[in-house]
Amino acid sequence: MDARIRYSVLLVGVGIILAFLPFDAAQTFQLKSDELLTRSASEEMYFSVDQVARAVNSEDSTVQIIDVRSVAQFRECNIPSSINIPFDDLQNPLWEATLNQKKVKNIFYGNGDQTASYAWTIVTGLGYPNNFVMKGGLNEWFSTVMLSQYSGEKITPAENARFENRLNARKAFTEINSLPDSLKTRFFNAKRLNQSKLDGGCN
Amino acid sequence: MQQFKNLKFVILIIVVLLILVIVRNSDQNLFKKDIKSAIEATQNNSNTLSLNQLRQLKGPWMVVNIGNSDLPDSVQVEHSMKIPFENLLDQTNRKILEEVNGDLILYSADVATASKAWVILNQMGFKNAFILNAGGNPEELKYKFQPDTTARLEQDSI
Repeated sequence: MDARIRYSVLLVGVGIILAFLPFDAAQTFQLKSDELLTRSASEEMYFSVDQVARAVNSEDSTVQIIDVRSVAQFRECNIPSSINIPFDDLQNPLWEATLNQKKVKNIFYGNGDQTASYAWTIVTGLGYPNNFVMKGGLNEWFSTVMLSQYSGEKITPAENARFENRLNARKAFTEINSLPDSLKTRFFNAKRLNQSKLDGGCN
Repeated sequence: MQQFKNLKFVILIIVVLLILVIVRNSDQNLFKKDIKSAIEATQNNSNTLSLNQLRQLKGPWMVVNIGNSDLPDSVQVEHSMKIPFENLLDQTNRKILEEVNGDLILYSADVATASKAWVILNQMGFKNAFILNAGGNPEELKYKFQPDTTARLEQDSI
């Protein structure tokens, strides 16, 4: 038989099979549901606000803090060194390179736990590694980091370290978020430029 | 018949591929929906219900308590069941969820648990799943940032 007919039959068959596969596999969860559920039920998916404050103070480059609130809410106030990926825009392919990194931990936060948990489940379901949620969100950050006060008579070295960590994070938060919008924009543009230089990208 | 014999290798390959596709797609643990559906459903909190909205539902519904604490007092026990979050997708529980008549209302005092469960169920194709927010909007910022008007960054940082 003519080889062309054989190849034609093969291609038609494969085409029919492909037609039954999901249209865009990259946008469906890659993890199996029971595995995703097991990870979701684990407490290991959480970072406390103190851990995030420590990452901010030490400028930890292995941590990427991601604000999933709207652009307007992010501009109003945000955790220093965080980047804004609004939850509504999470499926934008532009964010894949940012989110899908093996050596960087993604820590999601919103005002509470709901939006960050949505984002965590979607990103983890897509198969991206190292995802975490800042437990309690920005509400917890305010009550623990911004408004914490020590009221005891004696302070242990561990407590002292914890309060110093919070104090430094509070200063950084207040300093960045107190800037007028024009300066804030310049600051974020400069930061983005520095980041692109570090990544070896162009301006 | 001769033509069929000549094509047998091609047909064999197609049959093997077809079997692989069927096996893959019949795995109950695989997600098949696009994440877009989950993101769109959360816009304007259209996937959440308050206690008032729950009371006003006209069709049948069932509250599934996936948390560790009890249901809010106003939720009638006969309209509820308890399934621990970590066992949500056990074969028996999955069947129970599939057989629920009407809306499936997920409740947990920890809203993060209900949110994760909702995304998983949504992506598994449960179109009738909602989250019960018994304590108001969990994404409301309860604090107002007070800027320090004297703060200035060092020049070299901008």
